[in-house]
Amino acid sequence: MSQASEREGLSAETGRAILDLAAEVGGVAMLAGRLLRRLAPPRLDGPELARNLHRMGVKSLPIVGVTALFTGGIMVIQAGVLIRRFGAEGLLGWGAGFATLREVGPILIALMFSGRVGANNTAELGTMTVTEQIAALETLAIDPLSYLILPRCIAMVVMLFMLTVYGDVLALAGSALMGQALLGVSVATFFNGFLETIRVWDLATGLIKSVLYGVIIALSSCHFGLTVTGGAPGVGRAVNTSVVASATGIFVTDYFSTYLLG
Amino acid sequence: MAPPVAPATPPDDALDGDAERPRPRGLAADTGQLLIEGVRAFRGLFDVALRTVYWSLKGRREKGVVLEQAFEIGNKSVFFLTVTQGFIGMILVFQSGLQARRVVPDLTMLGATFLELLVRDLAATLASMMLATRVGAGIAAEIGSMVVTEQVDALRMCGVDPVDWLVVPRFLASVVMTGVLIFYAGAIAYFAGGATAWAVFDVQPQTYLNARLLDIGDVSIGLAKCVAYGAAIPIVSGWCGLSARGGSEGVGIATTQAVVFSSLAVIILNLVISGVGFVLFPV
Repeated sequence: MSQASEREGLSAETGRAILDLAAEVGGVAMLAGRLLRRLAPPRLDGPELARNLHRMGVKSLPIVGVTALFTGGIMVIQAGVLIRRFGAEGLLGWGAGFATLREVGPILIALMFSGRVGANNTAELGTMTVTEQIAALETLAIDPLSYLILPRCIAMVVMLFMLTVYGDVLALAGSALMGQALLGVSVATFFNGFLETIRVWDLATGLIKSVLYGVIIALSSCHFGLTVTGGAPGVGRAVNTSVVASATGIFVTDYFSTYLLG
Repeated sequence: MAPPVAPATPPDDALDGDAERPRPRGLAADTGQLLIEGVRAFRGLFDVALRTVYWSLKGRREKGVVLEQAFEIGNKSVFFLTVTQGFIGMILVFQSGLQARRVVPDLTMLGATFLELLVRDLAATLASMMLATRVGAGIAAEIGSMVVTEQVDALRMCGVDPVDWLVVPRFLASVVMTGVLIFYAGAIAYFAGGATAWAVFDVQPQTYLNARLLDIGDVSIGLAKCVAYGAAIPIVSGWCGLSARGGSEGVGIATTQAVVFSSLAVIILNLVISGVGFVLFPV
């Protein structure tokens, strides 16, 4: 982002902001294109992929677990107001389960994942960029995109999908427990209501969305990491921009995918 | 008998463990290390929180510092919040409308229920998750780069508590601006939802604008959340920034941790406040 040294007119600032935005979106699209070209006959580093799968996925289990459990509990508290008003205990499984599987679970897990893995990825790539390690790779005739970037992107997409499955399960467990503790709705009643009303498609939409979120987090975190300038403060700023861009992208995608998937 | 605890190793930061393969250790040693680190981190956080509150009440600040931070935290988040909250408002009304139609045929209470849910929970929590991302990362990145470039040590040399100088202005600004931004974000989500209800489900605006379900409990829970989130985000991310170590890598890790921990703080506070509110204000 360019720094306006002196005060400019509103139109100039707006124009600059729009141009900056267009440049970033274009950069992400270019990165996506170049990564896709490397997928056609897959050219990527296998061990690097395995290592990224482990540290991005397995090591996120605790934070995703805590988020999911708490989220499930919160959904029950919010649904509890309506349940008490209508006196319909059987609907608790429907209310909490539906919201968790379709919207809240995938979104919150994606936001946490973007905070932990996406931000960290930007920080790492940014550090590599400012210390010229990426340039060194190119000098050694190693393609940084297939060696460094593509394994990370694939790992993020795969792992966010799997973490969403894991998170959904834990969120439902959290809902059932909270329903028992706070509303006195037994776990059996909860899951009966859940199984009667929730269709497989509800679960599937959430999981499809999680793949889309994974793509967004992967692309934006890699793009902002690779375009860092200006030392340690630059890395901090890039991480900030990357998480903001991921969050915006997640919500915009959520809107359109909700419309399309129904 | 538990095996002897392994000698202290450098703290495991977020995503490392790939620089060199960690030696396999016993479960007890791992658990113990995790516990000790957890307690140490919690004490650090508690220390920053206490000193923030102390200096907010006692310290004196230069003129304009808080305003500057308020601009940084508040005005610069407006665009981000408008986009995300507008979309989330549309999504929520669309989803709940679809669902409600499956169970009850009429959607006259859609607006009233949505407003209640926004005031009780969603406006504050979703906006704060966004602010934890944007503001938290910003604070940690800024303070973290000051730490690694030894500017914070220079402050200490001058006899200034870095918490007083760096965290307190952000804390005061955030408490005020988070509240304001949550009102704004809630309004955006509410009206975006109203537009969706009108366009998709044919709910007339005069039916949608209905505050009958709001009561004192909802409003007090919502306000409590505003204050709690606004206070938690700068403290948690200030603490993350102050514990940055190493060069640009350290700043990156601190920023990451700030996003994760302040989002987590929002989620945990949400559960606590919602639970207490549910017990205090029975429907």
